[in-house]
Amino acid sequence: MAEVNPGGQAAAAGLSEAAQAELLDVCQDQFALLEEVHNEIMLREPESCENPQELAQNQLIATETELKQWLTMEPNLLIENAEILLQAGKAEMLKLCSELELVVSCYEAKRDKLKETKELERKWLEEKTQVLLAVSDHIERLQKEKEKLSEHSLLQDMKAKMAKMKFYHERLMECLGDILGNHVPLPQDDLSSNKRKKSSEVELNEDLISLAEILEELMNKMLNTPHDPYVLINERFWPPYVEMLLRYGIAVRHQDNNFKIRLETFV
Amino acid sequence: MSLLKSFNNFPALNTANILLVENEEQFQQSLANALVEAADAIVNVRLAKSLPVPTKNEESRPRIDLVVFIINLTSELSFESTEASLKYLDCGYFLGKVCFMLTNARNASIPPERLDAVRKLASLLHCPLLFAEDQTPDGVTNAAERLLTILKVAAGHVPMTTALYMSILTQCTVLPDIDQPSFD
Repeated sequence: MAEVNPGGQAAAAGLSEAAQAELLDVCQDQFALLEEVHNEIMLREPESCENPQELAQNQLIATETELKQWLTMEPNLLIENAEILLQAGKAEMLKLCSELELVVSCYEAKRDKLKETKELERKWLEEKTQVLLAVSDHIERLQKEKEKLSEHSLLQDMKAKMAKMKFYHERLMECLGDILGNHVPLPQDDLSSNKRKKSSEVELNEDLISLAEILEELMNKMLNTPHDPYVLINERFWPPYVEMLLRYGIAVRHQDNNFKIRLETFV
Repeated sequence: MSLLKSFNNFPALNTANILLVENEEQFQQSLANALVEAADAIVNVRLAKSLPVPTKNEESRPRIDLVVFIINLTSELSFESTEASLKYLDCGYFLGKVCFMLTNARNASIPPERLDAVRKLASLLHCPLLFAEDQTPDGVTNAAERLLTILKVAAGHVPMTTALYMSILTQCTVLPDIDQPSFD
């Protein structure tokens, strides 16, 4: 298939008249050839191609023909005139140069970006190395400490801790005793001061025990027989105290037996 | 029925003719302006709503070097109209002188089947499938530049290359897994 001769585009200023005339001649020849081929194509009946398979076949045939054309084509000089060739070559070179400059700037931008990325990665690596150093330091220190520790010192440590615990426990118990003694007096004392009002209840109070004793009993039961921590409520327990323990969630009633209570399991 | 023929007229010197077919006629005009602006040779842009083209100005119509079907993916009608228009093209066009341009492909609300259907159509006809952003001026300029590259080759302005040769490299191919159900 005839193409528009690209040599026609190079007919720019800077060519002698003779060269221009020669170029125009060549172009005219080419255009005549083009017209001839075009007429030949136009005379052909248009083929209908509804079906995509036919289309594909058409394409295959056309591609094969084009391939054959490329294979049989002999490379020839565009034109004999050296002046025109020089001009065309110059134009081509300039075009190529500008294109190559574009490529260069593109690659420079890419390179700068890569440099930035590299810098970031380097910083990151530095940070990670520092972390690694710190961690290995820590490991070393721990290992040294482990070597230093002997069985004896462990035992000593444990003993000291236990003594501290015991002391703390005693203080807690003392505190509790003080509070109970100060703020929750025995019911007898209470009643003796108000004898006039509650003289009818006096006979009940002979065996009553203090809140501290109730708690002690509950705690002992809990510790001695953990499988059965319930304590039977008898007449020694003053009902308001029992009620208070239950109300404040210090003690819990047995599920089936209303007369049994146990200490709440504080965890 | 009048076929649009690929060799109805002689080519003019340094001139390329492109036909933009769009049913909605939204993107055509801005794309045409961008094409004329970006071109370094003479580019004649002709617009059509659909094919066939009217017979009355058959004589004055230049040789069309490239036919571009603009399909708006958000409308089903756009695709159907394109399918109908394809029948009025001479089969010489399918040797690298037709391309599809999709707009609104980024819209999340379009059904994925429609994009698949367009892909199938393009690969069946061995045509390149271009995606364009029609909302921003940059997108329009970009689309125009891509079309110009194809147009130059199709009009024979690039030595040592033909439209057929390029279409073999740029034609749309359907991925083999397109028939399988998508998992999204």
